[in-house]
Amino acid sequence: MAAVENFVVNTDEGLLPQADALPPELPSLPPGEWMKKNLFSSPFSTILTFVFGAMALAAINVLVDFIFSDERNWTAPATNLRLLMTQAYPADQYIRVWVSVGLVAVLTGLSTGLWNAGDALSMKRISMWFMTGGSFVALVALLAPFDSGRRTTWLILAAVVVGIGLAIWFGLGERRRSIFVRSIYVVFGVLGAIIGSLWVVKYGNYALADGELVADPDALVAPTTRIPWTILLAILVGTYFIGRGLAGKVAALLKAIVMGAWLLAPFIIVWVILRDPDLDWDHVISTDIPMALAFGFGGGLILYALTKPGLGEIGKIVAGVLLAVAAFNWVAAFFGWYPMLQKARLSFLFLAIFALAAANFAGDRRTRLQLVWGWLGFMAVVHYMATMANTASTLEIQGDFFLGGLSLTLFIAVLTLMLSFPLGVLLALGRTSRMPIFRVLSTVYIETIRGVPLITILFFFSVIIPIFLPSGMGLSETAAIVIGYTLFSAAYLAENVRGGLQAVRRGQFEAADALGLTGSQRTGFIVLPQALRVSIPPLVGQAIATYKETSLVSIVGGFDLTRIADKVISAQTDFLGVKMENLLIISFIYWVGAFSMSKYSQKLERRLGVGER
Amino acid sequence: MSISDATTAVSDELAARDDMIVCTGVDKWYGDFQALKGVTATIKEQEVVVVLGPSGSGKSTWIRCVNRLEQHQGGTIVVDGVELTNDVRNIEKIRSEVGMVFQQFNLFPHLTVLDNITLAPKWVKKQPKDVAEENARKLLDRVGIPEQADKYPGQLSGGQQQRVAIARSLAMEPRVMLFDEPTSALDPEMIKEVLDVMKELAQQGMTMVVVTHEMGFAREVADRIIFMEAGEIVEVGTPEHFFTNPTEDRTKLFLSQIL
Repeated sequence: MAAVENFVVNTDEGLLPQADALPPELPSLPPGEWMKKNLFSSPFSTILTFVFGAMALAAINVLVDFIFSDERNWTAPATNLRLLMTQAYPADQYIRVWVSVGLVAVLTGLSTGLWNAGDALSMKRISMWFMTGGSFVALVALLAPFDSGRRTTWLILAAVVVGIGLAIWFGLGERRRSIFVRSIYVVFGVLGAIIGSLWVVKYGNYALADGELVADPDALVAPTTRIPWTILLAILVGTYFIGRGLAGKVAALLKAIVMGAWLLAPFIIVWVILRDPDLDWDHVISTDIPMALAFGFGGGLILYALTKPGLGEIGKIVAGVLLAVAAFNWVAAFFGWYPMLQKARLSFLFLAIFALAAANFAGDRRTRLQLVWGWLGFMAVVHYMATMANTASTLEIQGDFFLGGLSLTLFIAVLTLMLSFPLGVLLALGRTSRMPIFRVLSTVYIETIRGVPLITILFFFSVIIPIFLPSGMGLSETAAIVIGYTLFSAAYLAENVRGGLQAVRRGQFEAADALGLTGSQRTGFIVLPQALRVSIPPLVGQAIATYKETSLVSIVGGFDLTRIADKVISAQTDFLGVKMENLLIISFIYWVGAFSMSKYSQKLERRLGVGER
Repeated sequence: MSISDATTAVSDELAARDDMIVCTGVDKWYGDFQALKGVTATIKEQEVVVVLGPSGSGKSTWIRCVNRLEQHQGGTIVVDGVELTNDVRNIEKIRSEVGMVFQQFNLFPHLTVLDNITLAPKWVKKQPKDVAEENARKLLDRVGIPEQADKYPGQLSGGQQQRVAIARSLAMEPRVMLFDEPTSALDPEMIKEVLDVMKELAQQGMTMVVVTHEMGFAREVADRIIFMEAGEIVEVGTPEHFFTNPTEDRTKLFLSQIL
């Protein structure tokens, strides 16, 4: 956890700059001068301005023509929004979806509040946003194939927006530069405006009820849409202020809990909330709980013994034996030599890993108990999750998997990223290791995977691997896809991390050595935190790519966002052949996710820059 | 070798003390280039030795061999009775007794000053967190920057960073401190604050080996001066002997160039 904490630099101070500390505003150029300086400074730049200006206008024109053309059937995506989000998730269980989104909203709100996220925006900037936005609306109104009535409505809207901007600009005068708003309030304001408009503006009510198309263009959106979203916004804002209120008090502990919750949330959401395991309580009491207790306390005792100071070689031998047993259990599972619950295999493996780290916790009673408590908490999580994941779902769904659409896209993306991150870091460390066996294995792995197209790997894992698995070891298609994608993504991630590792200066290694840190302590406390910090831009780039390239899953049979937009909706009798509209909508959905990630990474970089040089 | 036993110039009082570092015929090559040629020297307990010499003479290489940042290829190095071999346990033992301060400070940029200092005591010496932090604050007090504990290295001046680096080494309670040109990367006005800390350390009886170009420091603080050139120890003596009455021609030439 120490390595993660290092990424969190508190920016409580200096968020809202003092008004009297501002330097005088540079006199802005009159519009004519500004254009001459920035657009027409030389004959060549004049040509460029006209060429690219014309190209931009043409592009907007084409897009606007497409969107507002009478031939477009926007009813198709509007009717199928639920299909795009969650495919066939049962309607009577839909509250589970909202609870899941609600959990994310709670964590988001708490995190932004606790970490006091966001910058200070001057009213000057907000005013400029209004003016730019309004001008863009006016541009669209002029380019779109509207009749005169509709065009007038749009132009009035544009005028109002620009007017608000101008009012702020001139109303505040010089104070526009010294009055600041937290950017998070701007976000809340925008979300509030969008969600509030659901209650006022008649966007239309579309649904497919029992195969019958319900299309009422002159209605508010369905209450099953507007009510949950309104509640979600309230939760987000409420938890933000709760987080702000708690920030000063028990911040360190709370932040650790919230970070842990973020890590667990995807698993809880998918395997517990959405999947609704049908727990067999007899089995839980007779097997699951005793087994968790046995591993927790038995393992705890072993770990406590292993942290005895001055144990030396014996500790390493015991840990080595445990690792061998754990590895053998997996080999045995593959060949089916003896039955054993997967949970027990996992627990053995984790016990061996904890035992390997035990020497670092040798010391007084309190230090030793830290490891034992860590183990107990970890076992609780592992056994809870394993039990939930192993229990059959109560949901009745046709097909392979209970998620589809955006939920499947996010599931594959998040799970792949979470699994490939540790694997990628290990591969990067292996490739830069001094031990030839690790170096060669990692290098061969990375170079092999990087030479193969992703789609090939996905085919390989979804089609070929299941054939060669021993009988009794079934692998669902989604699991196969996630495994294949993880192995692929880890190779690229490893190369990004390796770049970061190479950027860590030699002096850092030497300082760590001179202080007597062991190799693993040096890597964990000194080298990796710095390397990962340097790697943030490429890592986020890769996260975005991973998120978008989940669309390839649609080719190997997954019902993800792309497959539903491309194949499923266009096969419905009401919307035969309607594709472009859906693809444009999902492009926007992909873009929102990717753009948020990109923005967040920029924040992260700036925030982590605090301690550096 | 012009001097076979580098300890000849040691006073009787010094000679009576225990040996802390004993180097015998230490050789070191970088590829074909021989950086150290049979370096033989003994450093006594509580002694302050300043190593002088032109750049490229092997001063830094030598003290980096003493805590195994560089591996020597010939001869022996014995620190506090433990010989440096490939045995990892010996290396760990020696590193926990030998502190080192670098020219470029090498503070950990992602950790606060306090975390920089407490990291090794917590994880290598297994000190409880509160004990380690209390010690760290005392050390920061000792090097004169108690108010900087929660800042990051990047927010400090060079002189402050180097003092943190000294505090970080001291937190491991070393028996020997090695200084590898500790003031060479500092602006002139910051050199004094670092040298003052080092002087105080010397007065408190720390065994120190200092590679430096600060002649004033050498003259004032050193018990002995070792002059190296081209990977060899050329001359060893008290500061008085060294600055006023050097015997070797190469030493005279060096002094005439820098004084």
